[in-house]
Amino acid sequence: MEVLEEKEEEEQKEEELKALEISSELHDTKTKLSVEQICFSSDVPDFDWNSIDTSQLPDSYKMNSPREKKLLRIADHYHQQYTHLCPERKPLFLHPVNECGVEKFVSTTVRPTLLPYTELYHWDGCASFVSDYLTMEPLKCPLTPPSSLYSPTTILKYQRGNCFDFSVLLCSMLIGAGYDAYCVNGYATHNICSLDESLEECPLLRKPQEVPKEDVKKSNKYRVKSLPDMHSKFELQQEAKKKAETEATEKKERGERDMEAEEPTCDHLCGLRVHAWVLVLSGKREVPETFFIDPFTGNSYSTMDEQFLGIESVWNHKNYWVNMQDCRNGCKDLVFDLSDAVHWEIMLSETDKPLQLLLGAEKKNELFDRNVDDMEEEEEEEEEEISFAMPPSWVAPIQISPKEFETRCSQGRKVILYKKAKLEKWAPYFNGNGLVKRLTIYADSNWTEAVEVKEWFKNREDMLDMREVNKQTQLTTEYFSPGHLFGLKVHAYKSMNPQTERVMEFYTETRVDGLQKLAENASEMKEYFMGRDDFKYFQHTEFRTKRKKVTLAGVGTDVNSRPIVQIKECFHRNLQKPADEDIAERVFLIEEEMIQLTYHLKDKYITASKKDFFKPTESYRKQSEIMTPEMCITYQAGSSEQHTKLVHLYKLLQKLTEEEKQLKQQVWRSQAEMNAKKDEFPGQNEQDLDYLAPFLIQMGSPEKMTRRQALRLRDNCLSDFKNRLVSKANIIQARFEKEVEELQKKNQLFQENQNQLSEKEEADLLADYSETMFRIHILALRLDREKQTAPQKYLALEEKLRKDPRLAEHLGHA
Amino acid sequence: MSQSDNSFEPNVIDDEMLQKAVEEQWPEDIRKLAKAEGINFKDVMELQLSFRNILQIDNLWQFENLTKLQLDNNIIEKIEALESLVHLVWLDLSFNNIEVIEGLDTLVKLQDLSLYNNRISKIEHMDTLQELQIFSIGKNNLTTLENVVYLRKFKNLHTLNLTGNPFCNEEQYMLFVVAHLPGLVYLDFKLVSDTTREVAISNYHYLTDLLEHEEAQALAQLEEKQAQQKELEYHKTAFVEYLNGSFLFDSLYAEDTEAAKLAYLPGVDDLLQAYRKDFVSVCENLFNYCLKEHEKREAEVSDFYEGLREVLTANQEEGRRIILDFENQNRTRLDEIHHASSHDTAESMRAEYNEDILQLSETLMTLEMQMVDQLEELIKEFERNIAVITSTFIENVKGMMTQCRDLENRHHEKLLEISISALEKSLKNELDEELPDDVREFLVDKNTIVNMVNKSHNIHLLKISMRECDILLNMYHWEASVKEKALQNEIDRNRNRIKEIFQYIDDLQEQLDNTQIPDPTE
Repeated sequence: MEVLEEKEEEEQKEEELKALEISSELHDTKTKLSVEQICFSSDVPDFDWNSIDTSQLPDSYKMNSPREKKLLRIADHYHQQYTHLCPERKPLFLHPVNECGVEKFVSTTVRPTLLPYTELYHWDGCASFVSDYLTMEPLKCPLTPPSSLYSPTTILKYQRGNCFDFSVLLCSMLIGAGYDAYCVNGYATHNICSLDESLEECPLLRKPQEVPKEDVKKSNKYRVKSLPDMHSKFELQQEAKKKAETEATEKKERGERDMEAEEPTCDHLCGLRVHAWVLVLSGKREVPETFFIDPFTGNSYSTMDEQFLGIESVWNHKNYWVNMQDCRNGCKDLVFDLSDAVHWEIMLSETDKPLQLLLGAEKKNELFDRNVDDMEEEEEEEEEEISFAMPPSWVAPIQISPKEFETRCSQGRKVILYKKAKLEKWAPYFNGNGLVKRLTIYADSNWTEAVEVKEWFKNREDMLDMREVNKQTQLTTEYFSPGHLFGLKVHAYKSMNPQTERVMEFYTETRVDGLQKLAENASEMKEYFMGRDDFKYFQHTEFRTKRKKVTLAGVGTDVNSRPIVQIKECFHRNLQKPADEDIAERVFLIEEEMIQLTYHLKDKYITASKKDFFKPTESYRKQSEIMTPEMCITYQAGSSEQHTKLVHLYKLLQKLTEEEKQLKQQVWRSQAEMNAKKDEFPGQNEQDLDYLAPFLIQMGSPEKMTRRQALRLRDNCLSDFKNRLVSKANIIQARFEKEVEELQKKNQLFQENQNQLSEKEEADLLADYSETMFRIHILALRLDREKQTAPQKYLALEEKLRKDPRLAEHLGHA
Repeated sequence: MSQSDNSFEPNVIDDEMLQKAVEEQWPEDIRKLAKAEGINFKDVMELQLSFRNILQIDNLWQFENLTKLQLDNNIIEKIEALESLVHLVWLDLSFNNIEVIEGLDTLVKLQDLSLYNNRISKIEHMDTLQELQIFSIGKNNLTTLENVVYLRKFKNLHTLNLTGNPFCNEEQYMLFVVAHLPGLVYLDFKLVSDTTREVAISNYHYLTDLLEHEEAQALAQLEEKQAQQKELEYHKTAFVEYLNGSFLFDSLYAEDTEAAKLAYLPGVDDLLQAYRKDFVSVCENLFNYCLKEHEKREAEVSDFYEGLREVLTANQEEGRRIILDFENQNRTRLDEIHHASSHDTAESMRAEYNEDILQLSETLMTLEMQMVDQLEELIKEFERNIAVITSTFIENVKGMMTQCRDLENRHHEKLLEISISALEKSLKNELDEELPDDVREFLVDKNTIVNMVNKSHNIHLLKISMRECDILLNMYHWEASVKEKALQNEIDRNRNRIKEIFQYIDDLQEQLDNTQIPDPTE
């Protein structure tokens, strides 16, 4: 034994030497590292963990129970053996100190907890909560595990931690939710370790894979031979060749440029960076496949993922396993059967084996096996371990209040940098305009030149869901959930001014007129419809742009109504009418006083029937003939009978004229609707009403205020507010008195007539009485509250005034 | 002649009255226009002939497309002369002197019928008015409440007016009517409330249940019959009506008196049974084969028409595109010609446009010629395929029919054997069985019996051949008709298209010719 120990000592020395070497190596890189650290910690003000208050923590945090002490002894012993067996491996991460400076075994730091939020019942909910809620801190030394590991409760309280803190918290929540989860101590790439997603595509930008549509078309044997192709094939070939060549060269150039731009920097510490994450084994909670969760991002990874480079050890709340497999190829080839003693060295052999093997029939066998194990181990004189089970966690129960849960990110905001993109998240209701997420896409990798901004909203009255602003074209696109007043679905515009270019899409089902899409610009408006009873699917209105005519001011017409040049409507086929009576296209040339009708094609015909009406001019109308054959040019496809009767034409014309009128009105109405929409669009109403405006107007809205003016303004404002409070209290007081008076009257009445009242009347009176009493009570309460809160409100306003940017310079130091 | 003068004198509907009535229902301006042009009664959709003291309906046959006719407040005594108004949806005959419902059988589209305030005593003769929704027969002479049951026929009837009839005074009137007409929403101007309906149903369910049961039975029978009819139709289109089962076999023996007599001979019965079994099984085979072939034929034809449709649609689109292109290019051309700066330029522009029109005509014609060529090929291919199908079908049917004949021949031989042996036995008086006298009669010499058996055999063969002939003829007929139809369709299509192109080109040229051009003097 002694010899052995000596050997161990020697080995330790060697290791120390090695460590020294590494640290010297480190020195070179450290300068670089520190730069990197600054990179990601710049917006996180440094936090001093030494300053935290540990006095309030329970006793279990500050000392070890006898069982825990024993555990630590076992762990030490285990570690000794381990270092003996595998001298070249790094020391294990077994019992770091906690926030009170007490050594605690890592498994006891895991505190399985199920939190009362449905979202946290699933692993992805837990993972995204942890990643959102905590702020990431880098490890002090990126090559060794930390010397301390704080309790999840402390981590939650201060909302920050390193990867180990993240993992332990997430693992606690997952085990609590019934997952077979483990904390993993291992190695990963620089990007993972430092939560640097700047080389990764933003998950929101990843395009869903397109499923190629399968064209199932039965080929018919009856086909005509196509006509001989008269084009030269050689020419086509040549053209195609040329095109291919130019494309290839372009591609090459582009490729080179891309290469230059995005060459990933080589990391020479690759494989040494320590990281902690969570392993979820298959089996429990219907998890079909074993996978990793990176606690920083909350994303799941396959165990084959190349970013995870190796595993030292894993642990849960019951046991600790050391990986005995070769990690030269990353985690690809690892076997995650923790009961396999060859691949995983277990610390407390007595505790439950992972659930994977604990199924049904094997139980007996296992018992038997265990007995055999026990026998062997007894021979090795390790009784201590046999009878020993992991002591309960020393950590107090994890609690998250609903408010904390809702607020999510620390300070309600979280920023993630991706490759050419920046993602900001807010808690719901944190922003007044309902903003919860903003993704900014940049043209360059330094996040300076914004190309596109996407904003997501929640809980808005106008159901705005997402807004997309393209910075290059200035095109704004807004997406709405169902429920908007006008059934709006998508709204794309460049500016809010009326009659400028915009496209709107609607939820057709909710609209009476079946409007599906509306595209407008200065000179025309296109409307697309669906499912209308009159089979109309398209309407195109052309306007005269105002520039042409110098309109006389005040000519009576509405400012917004532009003169209509023509309206064109298209209709689907109505199968109940014969084709040449079913109108396909109707054009009202309003300026030319003409109406053109085109009918649907008859079966196998290639020419459509047509009718062109020329509306009678005023002079014409006065004549005795109201309809002449010249007023209508008809082409009736496939029938030699040239003339339909004038009576019919006249009736048709009358009908059309009437419809034209209605159509014009409808166009103006929809214009008005657009204008109405503009008024309630979200962009505008984000500002609050200015509470100082009335007072500023009184003073003539001066650009800059003198101190005297500012003081007067403040006094005015305060006295006004005071008056309002007083008058409010007075109103309540008056009501209160009135009610009391009424009550007395009723009382009197009741007393006088008590004997003459019938039973029902009496009951009514009593009900009335109690109601009055109730009102009096409420009023009294209100009055009381008003009296209490009034001074606070007054003070709040005073404070607000002091901080108001317009008055601050005069009042701030007053 | 004013209306008031007329009021005492009964009238008959005549042309003059109709003319006037038609004119009256239009507003002033249209009336003038219509008068100038002449009115065609065929175009009139609605006609009002109220308060005209009409005694007899007549002269309405010209109003073929009439949908609404009002003849109320007259003195009509008999419903007549309405047969040709088959599009009528609304007919008002209220306030007349009608006594019997009649003459409405052809008005199958009728939805709204009013016979209010007449002298009708029975609801009848309305079986064909299945579309009826609103029926008013108040203030009449209806006395028997059971008569209302007649209205159960009308599944769409939702509004009924019976007020003012004698039976309305009966205590149970309302409940009876509601119980028997479950689809009713309004009765006598009032909404039928749910409570009334419940009470009515509970009071009368013993009656209505019975009625419903009977109706259901009748319906089921009708459906069954229709299904049978449909199957038979289907078999007929496959040329195999009555071929499944023993129908053909039975028909062989139906007119064969000799065979009936021969059946008495010993051993013939068994022979017949065996023969029958074989024969029927062959028939079954034939039947199934024919059905299968029928499916195949249908598939072939539908394939062809599907392909044809695709080709035609493509062609239609192509033609449409050409015309649209032309129209879009030349939209303003007439205007330009009209407003041309001088006569000469206008003339040249006109000539140019004319040229373009001719060019278009050329293009369209070429397209059509290509189409004709393509379709000709297509149809030829179709014909070839049909011919192949026909010939294989005929061959196979012939083969199976030969099987039938073989069976018959074999049967014939055996029968002959039995007969002769029976004759021999009879001659030797060894027959143990008692035979009927007429059978004994021909057991006298060999010739008689052989003749008899042969005769029976010939009848059978004839029958089989006839059936075969039947099938084959049908098949040939089918082949010819399918080919004919395809060809005829194509010819019609081609003619129509050519006509259409000419008409369109003519129209364009006419427009061009009508365009005024500036005077040459200018």
